[in-house]
Amino acid sequence: MNYLGEHTFWSELGRFFVALSFAGALLSAFFYGFQAFRSPAERAERPVLPLRNAGRWSFALHALGVLGTIGVLFAALFNHWFEFDYVWRHSSLDMPMEYIASCFWEGQEGSFLLWMTWHAVLGLLLIKTAKTWEYGTLMTLSLIQLFLASMLLGVYIGDVKLGSSPFVLIRELPDNLGLPWTQLSDYLLRIPAFRDGQGLNPLLQNYWMVIHPPTLFLGFAAVTIPFLYAVTALIEKRYTEWVLPALPWTFFGVSILGTGILMGGAWAYEALSFGGFWAWDPVENSSLVPWLTLVAAGHLMMIVKHKNSSPGTTLFMTVLSFLLVLYSTFLTRSGILGDSSVHAFVDLGLNGQLLAFLGFFTLSSLAVFFWRARFLPKSASEDAFSSREFWMFIGALTLLLSAGQITFSTSIPVFNKLIGPEGLLPLLGNKLAPPADAAAHYNSLQIPFAIIVSVLMGLGPFMRWKDTPNALLRRALASAVATAVVGGLAIWGLELYDVLYAALLVSGLFAFFANADYWLRYLRGKWTAGGMALAHLGFALVLVGALISNAKKEAISTNATFIHEDFPANENILLPLGDTVSMYPYYVSWKGEHMDGHNRVYDVDFYEVELPLASWADGERNHLKTSFSLQPFIQMNARMGNVREPSTQHFWNKDVYTYVSYADLRSIEEQAGDWKDPQEATLQTGDDIFLFNDYLLHGDTLVVVDAVFDPASGELAHLELVLNMTLKAMDGTTYPIQLPYQLDNNEVSNAEVELDGLPIKLRFDGVQDEQGTYKITAWKKKTEEPPFILMQAFIFPYINLLWLGAILMGVGSLLAVWKRLYRSLTSQSK
Amino acid sequence: MKRSHIIALVVIAVLIGALLVTLQDASVYATFDLAEKQKPETVTVVGTLDLESPIDFNPQTSMLRFTAVDKEGGRSVVLYNQPKPTDFERSEEITLTGHATDSLFVATEILMKCPSKYTNQEEVVADASL
Repeated sequence: MNYLGEHTFWSELGRFFVALSFAGALLSAFFYGFQAFRSPAERAERPVLPLRNAGRWSFALHALGVLGTIGVLFAALFNHWFEFDYVWRHSSLDMPMEYIASCFWEGQEGSFLLWMTWHAVLGLLLIKTAKTWEYGTLMTLSLIQLFLASMLLGVYIGDVKLGSSPFVLIRELPDNLGLPWTQLSDYLLRIPAFRDGQGLNPLLQNYWMVIHPPTLFLGFAAVTIPFLYAVTALIEKRYTEWVLPALPWTFFGVSILGTGILMGGAWAYEALSFGGFWAWDPVENSSLVPWLTLVAAGHLMMIVKHKNSSPGTTLFMTVLSFLLVLYSTFLTRSGILGDSSVHAFVDLGLNGQLLAFLGFFTLSSLAVFFWRARFLPKSASEDAFSSREFWMFIGALTLLLSAGQITFSTSIPVFNKLIGPEGLLPLLGNKLAPPADAAAHYNSLQIPFAIIVSVLMGLGPFMRWKDTPNALLRRALASAVATAVVGGLAIWGLELYDVLYAALLVSGLFAFFANADYWLRYLRGKWTAGGMALAHLGFALVLVGALISNAKKEAISTNATFIHEDFPANENILLPLGDTVSMYPYYVSWKGEHMDGHNRVYDVDFYEVELPLASWADGERNHLKTSFSLQPFIQMNARMGNVREPSTQHFWNKDVYTYVSYADLRSIEEQAGDWKDPQEATLQTGDDIFLFNDYLLHGDTLVVVDAVFDPASGELAHLELVLNMTLKAMDGTTYPIQLPYQLDNNEVSNAEVELDGLPIKLRFDGVQDEQGTYKITAWKKKTEEPPFILMQAFIFPYINLLWLGAILMGVGSLLAVWKRLYRSLTSQSK
Repeated sequence: MKRSHIIALVVIAVLIGALLVTLQDASVYATFDLAEKQKPETVTVVGTLDLESPIDFNPQTSMLRFTAVDKEGGRSVVLYNQPKPTDFERSEEITLTGHATDSLFVATEILMKCPSKYTNQEEVVADASL
């Protein structure tokens, strides 16, 4: 059947491209696999170029399939083809165009596609650059892509669903199959529900969400490349040479993944109102863990490069980083985090497939590793205590422990599935819940690791391979002195007297000064050579900035109302409309609100006291000057719930961060006209009743104005009544009231009557019985409470150190990559 | 003893220490009944909001008071010293972290599970058609 207006062809084209990418990956793995298990010497001696070319062409076909898939999905989103399930679920007509990209990766299918795209791009680069490593790396990459592409297939093999296609049409969903409307050729025109989609989750309508996911997935894809080299090295027994080509990729991954993670933090800080950039949420944790192990792997690779031996831990760490990316994928996409994370993906029923993906690469890569483990070359002697490699190894080990701890605590829901009361092996009596205070839990364990890592980062540049002369180490003294002075002042100035916090501040500052000193004095501030120093000092700044802004985060909005001694005053300040309220060190005033698109924006002015005061008797309030204005807003979204979004004023040394924590979501005019407390009463002529404790209502007379009977049926056809009443206020004033009531052929019209000058309205609801008992309803206008909002406000001191550090870290590690690439390019041309 | 052995021992000590801290920090999923027995220990209760009972929010003190029903049907009045979360009444499930007192449960954190964003697509279509 031809469906009118349906883009059936495009849906099929999209599925064709997915199938093409699947088939291309399969063929590529097959052709490369033929040669991947031959030794490099054998391949050099008897190259089978047609097989290699077949592998290349297959991978190119795969890449074409991926590209086509993206193209069709974008076309569907851009053109609002709501007959596509994916488009209907993730976008809507009224959504700003710039967020189309966010719709693209809101769903699991789109984000798999994003990951696959980066793999395909990096794979094409590998074909160009990997030389003798091409066979093993591309075979493994093709296998990974095969698994990823299968997630998008959306085909049924028997009753088993393989993948979830982004091109499935709504009428093809299993729940809709066979429904009568799917048989109509013009269903798109008939059914209004197809004219608009569900829309994008309001939380994702933020520019960070346009760039954070692609960056993060490029980072994830970059973790894959060193893994490919490690696996190939194990297969081809080239245990140490692999680190040379893998190193630039590793630090590229460190840079991009690190930037991606912090972009996620920036998004959380700007768009979410949990008050910070990091909450130790499982989803955040599972992207941080592979980064930590990748950093460790990169440093271990440098040890292998310089010593040309003991590659075992390096290979293991590199493989582990990739496996942790897969584990992270499994955690966030399988729905297993359901109870413990706010922003995990919705379960698509792909759990079996995800588990197979994770299981296949875990088992196969660990099998290869342990198969080869006995042949791995070992170091003849122990590393010297004063050597760079020894302390680098300790640093990598610390990072591994840190990653292990985060993984362990994040995996609590997994433990419940395995050994919980309803798990596979019920060892636990009660289900374990994640730590009640996540921040306290992770901080107490992670800060000691961070202290060790920062001290090592500070000493690192002054150490040498094999053995460090004491004279070299003494160069670090200058930084130690600077740290002692600045650290002491900072602890005193910030009143940071917690021992752990103070220790991290000092060690972080040491890492910063040591690397800055090393770069400026010994490398003479050269950009090309300074990558390592810059990345390290950037990371030190990230640690220091995160520490200060969190440890010294100050809630300036406090609710002064005393509730109970057990309850601390909470962090919500009540702002009645137009009042100027003291919120030290500012005065604040809620000026009003307006709608901006879907957002209900609250205008809040901040004032500072103009010093010096002419006289104290005058009072501060008469000397206020406007300091700045903030516009926290609530995004109104009927379908997915309203979202409160913060607004932040940035200063060089602090941020003032606010959001509206509670507001009546009706406009101010509506709130003012709010009738409430309906009170019903039955009374007879002559009765008195109390209304709202303040008024006395007296029934005077009930007058029949007109009554007409239908001559044919004898029924009442038209009736007009007027009820006369008197309302007496507490001060004795009386108000006469006339309430109308009209009946026309069972149609009642009884207008509500508002009283002049009183916040009362009344309605006559009809006569109850022959004795003339009648019913009325009275309302009172809400006048006692002026409109108000509750707001939270925090000061984040020195948070800019964090962002500055993030930029330096990203740039620094890219410079290190550039240096290595440059060296390898020039050494080859020689 | 070789240096690598010392390192291995330190690593094992750290692992055991971290494990103990984690087990101590981890709270348990409990019912109101269990929370009452374990007071004032912090626990996590998963349940639903009782819409029949009053849900009072006092903006002056920003104190929210409501009744929740845990998974085994036990109910308790809950006090939450924070503004009422948006769409609180629409929640399908609420996860309360906090502790029991003699008369009520004091929540320090509330996580809500709202109706899935994939709402009733089939119903929307079915209602509109034919």
